Amino acid sequence: MAEKSLKEAEKIREIVGQDLLGGRIGLLLGWEKGHYWWQSRPLFAKNEADLEKLTWDSFCVINLSRYLLEELKEHGKVGVLVKGCDARAFNRLLQDNMVARDRVVLYGLPCPGMLDYGRLNEEAGGALISISESNGSVTLKTGTGEKSVERDQVLMKKCAECVYPDPVVYDQLLLSPQGKKEGVERFKSVEDLEELTPDERFAYWEGELSRCLRCYACRQVCPFCSCRECFVEQDNPRWQGRAYQPGENFMFHLVRAYHGTGRCIDCGECERACPVDIPLQELNRKLIKDINQLYGDYEAGVDAEADPPLLTYRPDDPAAFSEK
Amino acid sequence: MSVGVKEKAAGWEPLIVAFCCNWCSYAGGDLAGTSRLTYPSNVKVIRVPCSGRMNPMFVLRAFQRGADGVIVAGCHPGDCHYSTGNYSARRRLSAFKRLVEFAGFEPERFEVRWISSSEGDKFAEEMTGITERIKALGPNGKMRDARWQKKA
Amino acid sequence: MKKMIGLDKLPALWEQLSAEGPLYLPIEERGVVCFKPWYEGAVVRLDALNGVVPPKDIFLPREETYMRYQGGSQTLEIEAVSPGPDDKATLFGVHPCDLKAVEMLDRVYIDQEPGDSLYRRRRENATVVALACSSPDPFCFCNLFEVDPADAPGADIMAYLSEQSLYLETRTEKGETMLAKAESLISDAKDEPERPREVKTTDFGLYLEGLSDNLKERFDDPAWDNLYKSCLSCGVCTYVCPTCYCFDVEDFGHEGAGERFRCWDSCMFGHFTQMAGGHNPRPDRKERVRQRFLHKLQYYPQTYGEIACVGCGRCLRSCPVNLDIVQAVKALGGEAVEQR
Repeated sequence: MAEKSLKEAEKIREIVGQDLLGGRIGLLLGWEKGHYWWQSRPLFAKNEADLEKLTWDSFCVINLSRYLLEELKEHGKVGVLVKGCDARAFNRLLQDNMVARDRVVLYGLPCPGMLDYGRLNEEAGGALISISESNGSVTLKTGTGEKSVERDQVLMKKCAECVYPDPVVYDQLLLSPQGKKEGVERFKSVEDLEELTPDERFAYWEGELSRCLRCYACRQVCPFCSCRECFVEQDNPRWQGRAYQPGENFMFHLVRAYHGTGRCIDCGECERACPVDIPLQELNRKLIKDINQLYGDYEAGVDAEADPPLLTYRPDDPAAFSEK
Repeated sequence: MSVGVKEKAAGWEPLIVAFCCNWCSYAGGDLAGTSRLTYPSNVKVIRVPCSGRMNPMFVLRAFQRGADGVIVAGCHPGDCHYSTGNYSARRRLSAFKRLVEFAGFEPERFEVRWISSSEGDKFAEEMTGITERIKALGPNGKMRDARWQKKA
Repeated sequence: MKKMIGLDKLPALWEQLSAEGPLYLPIEERGVVCFKPWYEGAVVRLDALNGVVPPKDIFLPREETYMRYQGGSQTLEIEAVSPGPDDKATLFGVHPCDLKAVEMLDRVYIDQEPGDSLYRRRRENATVVALACSSPDPFCFCNLFEVDPADAPGADIMAYLSEQSLYLETRTEKGETMLAKAESLISDAKDEPERPREVKTTDFGLYLEGLSDNLKERFDDPAWDNLYKSCLSCGVCTYVCPTCYCFDVEDFGHEGAGERFRCWDSCMFGHFTQMAGGHNPRPDRKERVRQRFLHKLQYYPQTYGEIACVGCGRCLRSCPVNLDIVQAVKALGGEAVEQR
């Protein structure tokens, strides 16, 4: 991998190592390499040997903040590596009173965006063996030769559309900031859908949602889905039937998205986790877009002190009903 | 594949579910009755403590089980029995209405109205209005559970 | 007898076969390849490797109503619902690993008494055309499970894809009957199909000999304490796994009538073992992760003599946190050291 990220990983290991081995934190949540160079998986580091495995490269996409919900039950103080989206996820959990701020040490990692294996493969046009990175470009090595592409072309979708690559909350910033990204078009696909007729939109969603396996990966990775009991599992009343009927698909997906109104931090983990590529972000973003338009700009997760729009009101609020 | 708007069968009558807040709109409905005002029997009223009690899943479940239109009626903003319930409802249901429209429901299918306990005439008018609009639009097939049937 | 059909004639073949009953093919919709009933204009991707979801849902549908009931206060009428006897499906283009996985499901659903009548009916009525793989992707590790990517022993017809034609080798009577119906489109093969050379997949350095037996002693192994940590408790791995077969039964009831259906369920969900009284014997992620991997690696082999994995690589590809069976085997001592 790129020399830069190796150096960065070294620096991260050194700093978090001091805290972990010095006893300031009992556990460090980071990443380690999986079976493949394009996969990094969560690392639960407790000692020096674990720290050896710690990695920081262009594939550390998994959000670690959510693991705090479980790990804080076992450990007094937990350290977490947070990218921009992970930090907003942490704020989400903080606002929902799911974590205690003073029991978490956040190591901020301004994030250049993570790379998408599928897009890399597509660009390579087959048999991708490895990649190397330098200065905003990625060199793809295949069985037949090499090809260079812009880094922006092979970013994960969620990273290409990211506005806040820098952590908005941290105890220590470990790398130099990337800066807020301007001019990101997040709502284009939502606007395109709004142009359709109701029947066309319904057909679109019916098609997309028909693939849903009801594996609930979108819910399980989501920082706003931290309820101890989800409506899906409630038995009485039983809101969510288990049949794969179109109506049941809509029930789950509309309610999941709706529960994120003013709370969704737009990290895109749901869409990344979906094994059948349902465009879940379009539902989330529709709500972000409308709530901003109706009740003023609000970016969930950016400021843990600001009131989420559905937890407050103004007497002269506008409404979206046909009677004004 | 899509069920969308179904053909109107002969003799079809829409089913409208009206969630009415206990303190204003339900009383408004009572007033409509005692004032001998008429509104279509297509409207089935379900009383809720406050428009702020509305769980969006009520609306979706109504569509699953055969509703052609859903209306939520609550106290006028500022007049909530619990002071602020309808202020919250206004924000929540506005976002929700936009979401169900985004999912492909026609705007007429889901509505919210503010009807006070002294507005028996408005209650009758609004219930007649939504019934007329849904009649013009036709039956709703979206989200409708095919397994759900009326008792044979 | 070897037959062949030009690739340009395939749509005509699909049309003919689908007239006989549902014809399931790897069809691409909005960028996702899954086995679906063929329809005119469908984008058939015989060239694709394993789709996201295995074809197990053809025999074990995600949801299947098997009983309807109706009644008043005194009587209850019950009606059995089952796939019609004429529901002769054709499964076309399934890869050898996936077909081996179906045979694993057969052992559970058919090869014991009483068998599962719904599954049996679908399975016995179906004709399976398997398709040889020529180049595995990096997620494939079927060699480890003695799957030959170029040959599926259980197929009714074995197919080989070349640049211009599809070679068809009938293996059973069912296969011959199927081809007889499409005689006008198919010709005798003039040459031998170019069989894929020996297809090598990765084996991740795993060594499975004796693993199932060793695991009997490792229920309380400390390895489990680390392995489950990253699990999110979603059901992706079980739903994309071709050898997972658990289902749940639920009623959909309304006034005086209703129906009972079964649908896929996943041992990774907390509710899977939730009992009516509130007790849950697998209360946490650790127990559930252990259950899933022990089922694949110990319980199934104990009963049926073979590890319940075919190396299709779907869990390696789809798990949102990259926790998969290879990692589990490695953690549980299945890594080759000096033995090999």
